Amino acid sequence: MGSKQSIFTAQQLDAYQVGGTPPEDFLVLFYRYRDLAPQLVPLDYTKEPDVKLPYELIGSMPELKDNPFRQRIAEVFSEDGEGNMSLDDFLDMFSVLSEMAPRDLKAYYAFKIYDFNNDDFLCKSDLEKTLTKLTRGELGEDEVKMVCEKVMDEADLDNDGRLSLEDFQHMIVRAPDFLSTFHIRI
Amino acid sequence: MTDEQNLVKELVGMSTLEQTRAIRELTMSFEEKKNIRWIINGTKALAVVQKWLCQFFRRCSYTMRSARQALELWHGIMKEIGGKFGTSVLTYFLFLKWLLLFNIFSFVVNFSFITVPLLVYGPNITSNVSFRGLELLTGAGYFTHTVMYYGAYSNETLRHGVEYNLQLAYFFTIVVYMVLCGIALTFSMASSFKKNFVLVDPASTSAWQLLCSWDFSLTGEKTVTQRKNNLRESLSEKAQQKLLTLREKLKHSGIHLGSWLVSTALVAGCASSFSLQQEAETLLVPFVVSLMNLVIPLFFSLFNKFEHYSNNRSQIYSQVVRNVLLRMSILGVLCYHWMNEVSQRESFLCWESMVGQALYRLVIVDFLFLMLGSFFGEFLRNVIGTKLHRRLGPPEFDVARNVLDLIYAQTLAWIGLYFSPLLPSIQILKFFILFYLKKVSLTQNCQPPCRTGRAAQMQTIFIFLLFIPFYVGAISIVGYTAWSLNPSQNCGPFRGLDRSFSVVELWMAGLQTLPGSGWAVWIFENIIKSEIFYFLITLIILAITYVFYQLIQGRKMLIDLLKQRIVNEGKDKSFLLDKLQNLQKSRPKKDTKHGRVCYQTFSL
Repeated sequence: MGSKQSIFTAQQLDAYQVGGTPPEDFLVLFYRYRDLAPQLVPLDYTKEPDVKLPYELIGSMPELKDNPFRQRIAEVFSEDGEGNMSLDDFLDMFSVLSEMAPRDLKAYYAFKIYDFNNDDFLCKSDLEKTLTKLTRGELGEDEVKMVCEKVMDEADLDNDGRLSLEDFQHMIVRAPDFLSTFHIRI
Repeated sequence: MTDEQNLVKELVGMSTLEQTRAIRELTMSFEEKKNIRWIINGTKALAVVQKWLCQFFRRCSYTMRSARQALELWHGIMKEIGGKFGTSVLTYFLFLKWLLLFNIFSFVVNFSFITVPLLVYGPNITSNVSFRGLELLTGAGYFTHTVMYYGAYSNETLRHGVEYNLQLAYFFTIVVYMVLCGIALTFSMASSFKKNFVLVDPASTSAWQLLCSWDFSLTGEKTVTQRKNNLRESLSEKAQQKLLTLREKLKHSGIHLGSWLVSTALVAGCASSFSLQQEAETLLVPFVVSLMNLVIPLFFSLFNKFEHYSNNRSQIYSQVVRNVLLRMSILGVLCYHWMNEVSQRESFLCWESMVGQALYRLVIVDFLFLMLGSFFGEFLRNVIGTKLHRRLGPPEFDVARNVLDLIYAQTLAWIGLYFSPLLPSIQILKFFILFYLKKVSLTQNCQPPCRTGRAAQMQTIFIFLLFIPFYVGAISIVGYTAWSLNPSQNCGPFRGLDRSFSVVELWMAGLQTLPGSGWAVWIFENIIKSEIFYFLITLIILAITYVFYQLIQGRKMLIDLLKQRIVNEGKDKSFLLDKLQNLQKSRPKKDTKHGRVCYQTFSL
């Protein structure tokens, strides 16, 4: 196992630390990333190689494999929007999902995860898709509609028929548990 | 010299080559150019040093943080439990760790300030009873004359170069520790309350369940599937909730009232059965107490099955209140018995040690019953649920009941602190073993909880419970003992005094002879001892509380107004968008670009 200095340059390390990755998890995260595909990820990152792991490998991680939103999580944090993540994307993902990340950052990313059609609003169809993912698709169509209507009534403050980021953040402010549930341990 | 400063600023920004060229072209003497060059190198060096210092401090803080996390007790186990069972079960273990820290602090403080001076310099304590194993259970026998209990402490002032008054040390150590506990509890309660209660809106449960409640840290297909099923059930339940008719409401209220009456009657019956007890020194009393604490809540949960609650939370609250009532009344009766009867009895040489022993027995038997409870409640129930009655399934970890057990155990330790200064050591052992026991029991026997309870709010309630009935009760007992009761004449640090508090009065009287300490004596005589002061303080605090209450009402009104304003803005926005679209339809094509720009502005 190499030390931090042999894999990354000092500037890279500093950049990562400033960027929000907690340093105690840094090497752990790097080796987890590498373990997903040892033949693709080099041990020497000083030349900044352009390595992206495909979504299938990311989605097979034990922390993510049973999560109903794993595909959306990978899509949101990957640069190309398809779920193929470089090391930067990977570190970004786990730093947002760690304990240290501030509430607003988590709310922003949670909003993006639930926004299936990427239009910066949570419309009825986004809510329906979220509900389906959370209930294994076993709720009847009427029940789904009823629940989504109820959610929209409760959360939509400006009554435009869809939830904006502000509506979502307003709800998060009133849910103190969110910081501990929107959290993946590694 | 602002010209020079501007010049230096300009030059610092350039590269070395450009710098040398620029300096060469300056219209200054050689000395001045050397000066300028020296300043530039200085500022550059300063900037480099600054940057290096920043990096150094950042690296230091990171290393310290990672070291602290590595040393943190049980960090890995907590992660594992949180991942598998969710945050509400984790709150139990976090609470246990927090209480353990209280006890460690208490033990360290008591040991260093009270016990060590006695052991090192004080008179030797000899006892003519040999050690048999039974002492560990009863606390009597060999332990009676050891430093475990109040009776062994002397009332002398040690003079060994430095004067150390053992009486004052005993009094102040206990009092200061209790006050510090109170402060820590108040602060954590206040911050927890502010974070988890003030802003929370109880009405938005569906939206919260859909968007905020999913626990992303769950791993394992079975756990995730189960949570999904529970969420589905809960959502479909809510979707089908119908309003109750008046008759049904009356029926529910009647059942509630009946259950409360029966519970209160049970509690009163238990409490009064203690007053009939004559012998309070045997092992029988702790046994009966713990048995009641174990069995009666089962009756309460039986009543729960008949009652119908509108939501999960009020169900948990009512259960918690009943359990608290039970434990408080039993403890209250026992304390009354100790304070009023045991302290007046002449046949005891040292009534404080007797009370200390009774509390020791309570702590030990409580621990045994906790282990038994874990065995029956979790292990056997798991065996029944998985092998015999497969439909029942494995049990869930009952967080509320377990936390209440912890709070009760800690209260016993707080009450016993005055009578047995080293009781926290037993408590530390107890909590340590309990942590590992509960962890093993949890992972082997229990399934993750069905309902995603609001863990943060429950935690606030638990801290609040710890503080208001239990801590306040414990400190009142200690206060009453110190203030009103006569200490034993033959043993302990307060022998020969009228009451324990006299030790402070004597000290103050002694201080009067010292010059320059008149203010301390004045404060003591006119503030701490006078009742008018406390009366005035209470009035002022009540007035301030009333002012803050009115402030809160005002803020609530403001929040409602602002919410209404957001709704109105939304209506305005959609009205204007409609108007714009109508305009676009009626206008000719060349104006559409203009219209699109306006549309963009509105959608911001």
